[in-house]
Amino acid sequence: MSDRAENLILALPGLLLLAVAFFVPIAQMLLLSVQGEEGLTFANFTRFLGDPYYLGVLWRTVRLSLLITAICALIGFPLAYIMARVGPRMRLWLIVLVILPLMTSVVVRTFGWMVLLGRSGLVPDILRSLGLAGRNFSIMQTESAIVIGMVQVLLPFMTLSILGVVSRIDTRLEEAARTMGCGFGATLRTVVLPLALPGIVAGSLLCFTLSASSFVTPNLLGGSRIQVLAASIYRSVTQTLDWPFAAAQAVILFVGVLLILVPYARLGGGTR
Amino acid sequence: MADVRLHQIKKSFGSVEVLHGISLDIASGEFISLLGASGCGKTTLLRIVAGLEGATEGRVELGGQDVTGLPPEKRDIAMMFQSYALLPHLSVAENVRFPLRMRRIGTKAEQRERVADALETVQLGHLAERKISQLSGGQQQRIALARAIVSKPKVLLLDEPLSNLDARLREDMQVELIEIHRRLGLTTIFVTHDQEEALSLSDRIVLLNKGKVEQEGAPDEIYSSPATPFASSFLGASNLLPATVRRVGGTAIAELEDGQTVALPADTAEGACTLALRQEDITLSGEGDANLTAEVATRVYLGARSRYILRLAGQDLRVLTGTTPTHEVGSKVGLVFDADRIRILPPETEKTSKDT
Amino acid sequence: MVGAISRPVRIAAWIFVLATGLFLLAPLVVVIGVSVSESQFISFPPDGLSLRWYKEVLSSDSYLGAAWISFRVALLVTLTSTLCGGAAAIAINRRVLPGSGALATFFLSPLVLPTIIYAIGMLMLWSAIFGPVTIVTIWIGHTVITIPYVVRTTLAVLSESDPFLEEAAQTMGAGRVQRLWLVVVPQCLPGLAAGAFFAFNISFDEAVVSLFLRKPGLTTLPVQIYGQLEFSPDPSVAAVSTIMIALTVGLILIIDRMLGVQRFASS
Repeated sequence: MSDRAENLILALPGLLLLAVAFFVPIAQMLLLSVQGEEGLTFANFTRFLGDPYYLGVLWRTVRLSLLITAICALIGFPLAYIMARVGPRMRLWLIVLVILPLMTSVVVRTFGWMVLLGRSGLVPDILRSLGLAGRNFSIMQTESAIVIGMVQVLLPFMTLSILGVVSRIDTRLEEAARTMGCGFGATLRTVVLPLALPGIVAGSLLCFTLSASSFVTPNLLGGSRIQVLAASIYRSVTQTLDWPFAAAQAVILFVGVLLILVPYARLGGGTR
Repeated sequence: MADVRLHQIKKSFGSVEVLHGISLDIASGEFISLLGASGCGKTTLLRIVAGLEGATEGRVELGGQDVTGLPPEKRDIAMMFQSYALLPHLSVAENVRFPLRMRRIGTKAEQRERVADALETVQLGHLAERKISQLSGGQQQRIALARAIVSKPKVLLLDEPLSNLDARLREDMQVELIEIHRRLGLTTIFVTHDQEEALSLSDRIVLLNKGKVEQEGAPDEIYSSPATPFASSFLGASNLLPATVRRVGGTAIAELEDGQTVALPADTAEGACTLALRQEDITLSGEGDANLTAEVATRVYLGARSRYILRLAGQDLRVLTGTTPTHEVGSKVGLVFDADRIRILPPETEKTSKDT
Repeated sequence: MVGAISRPVRIAAWIFVLATGLFLLAPLVVVIGVSVSESQFISFPPDGLSLRWYKEVLSSDSYLGAAWISFRVALLVTLTSTLCGGAAAIAINRRVLPGSGALATFFLSPLVLPTIIYAIGMLMLWSAIFGPVTIVTIWIGHTVITIPYVVRTTLAVLSESDPFLEEAAQTMGAGRVQRLWLVVVPQCLPGLAAGAFFAFNISFDEAVVSLFLRKPGLTTLPVQIYGQLEFSPDPSVAAVSTIMIALTVGLILIIDRMLGVQRFASS
């Protein structure tokens, strides 16, 4: 047996599994999206792109995903920086703080937000008692609810992506900057932030993709009136049973994600 | 213990040939060094002897047996790696026993005994039950050596085993290697880029340059009689001066590029050549009674001695002298040396540098 | 912490960490709180204190059935994905096969593609070929999405180990099988273990693939909870959720004991 044969045998089960159970299904879906009763058709795409309702869904998806990603980055960067710079014991606790939600099912976490944000939930209660909201105020079934829930779901991904990069930054670089007259804030801005950029970019790509393609949290927190693309796909599959249309929407989601990812990934690659 | 015979070994990676037909006979029990700069092919040659790399052409014999087609596990060898390659999940004793276990040498009890012996040889018997991660670099190095000698292989291959140690430990290990080799008499091939290591350890040095044997011989021979400018500059810090030899009457005279001349032994052949002069063979004096005159470019104070960098005929010369008298930078000094100490080498065909 | 950081900055950092921690843990705390409520209705802070909803869950066929499905699937997924992913990572790391770089990308690709897109494809393909989905469909689907994690954790561990170990073993007389079993696999173990935990956790908590592949009698625990949340949530959902949180905490403790949480987090 040659080296090549041995390694081929090792890789083969996974290779076959992914080929048959990952790439073939995606190909099948792509095919289905352009399959009409008489051969090739783009009817499903024109139906989506010609309908203001679906264009609104698409726009909402992009808008919310960008907002969620930006908020995650704004919270994730300082959190990751603090995690990288505290003592080992404290870091351990902070890592658990980030990992525990991450490893808990999205369904469970969303349920928590339903309780917190619901009409009689804690958050509206507090806002009401502070006089910031009216008697019938509710966050549930709004875009705000989706954003709050999704940020909590995705913040761990962003934080860990950035932490991976920040924890490899030599603290002496910051000390050097301080000796050269940089204040703490200026050091963060001129030394840490540029070096952490690859992590922020990677985390943002991940957050954007996950956010644009998730439907569990948006469905439960936004309700049926506030649809996002992934939720619309799920509805086409399970309720209207229009699979070719679902496939077309999935292709649009995929292309949309790619359109944002590719230039963004270039940006990250360029600064590395 | 056996002789190793390499016959016309060639090796190419893709279209690049890195070994151009190397033949080498190594006697039973001999300690031989493959010396050369990085990229000269010395490690590749060692890996071909081990069987980790296949030769593109040529033949490898161990103890009279052609092993060219055999994989390493079927060759009776042991190799010590630069990184030591100790198995981190096994204890020290289990690491040392590994070759015995794989090659099915002896019973369990015999294996235990041989492991204990090998650990004793490197004076680390007391660490047998430790984990590898609990050892210092120097200790790991000795364990790797114990693991290499435990199976008493036909040939012991050492791939720059001392390069990861600090200077002090390296000297200790050199002494230890010499003693172990004397005691066990294993045929040993030692790869290094460090001329001092090669000079102090080997019975014979094979100097490699760009995939060819540049020169081979006993350490004193190769040091005192380098055959080429490369050999001369690689072993010891030699000063190389291009010159042209002319015969005037019964004597030979070398003319440097700036017109200064040096008298050479009368039988020197005419034509272009390179003069090689070791830095320790030169003393400095005031101008006048010297063989050559040069300008002081830099003086480096080394404590016991001083090193001067001199400019002569467009070349930098290094000279090692006592600390007094001091010669000022920019002043002219005379170079005094015994004309017999000059080695006349073929002209340099291209820039040979000692990039280690 | 880098020295010379002023007091206000430190205080601000602490407030920030506390606020973020509260935000991250709030939904979990709320779920736990609701689960011990006595009330019929979901309320937080809880009305009274009782374990009645836990009793209810433990005697509910639908929850127990879903848990049993989830558990079986997660175990099977852990097994297949660790075996396939680990073996593939070993092969990728050796760089013997042509295009090893492309091979790594191939194995990591399910990570990049949004799961929902894959889930639809899987549902459509399976229905076209085999008809109704079964537990095997979910098993395969979860294996596909967890393989990249195993490949990544194993590759990370292998890239840190001495690249000459295998060659050294070879010069010591170890044959092909011995090198794989006695040298390479022991090096991989921490990565394989981390990957296995990822696989179990992801499969057990996964909702997207499972939701697309749901049908009566084939609901995993997260799908069961999702269904309850869509229609008639009562505190029993909180009790199940709390049990899932407890499992996660247990998993983290095991991981920390075996591998160290920090190392796990960095992969």
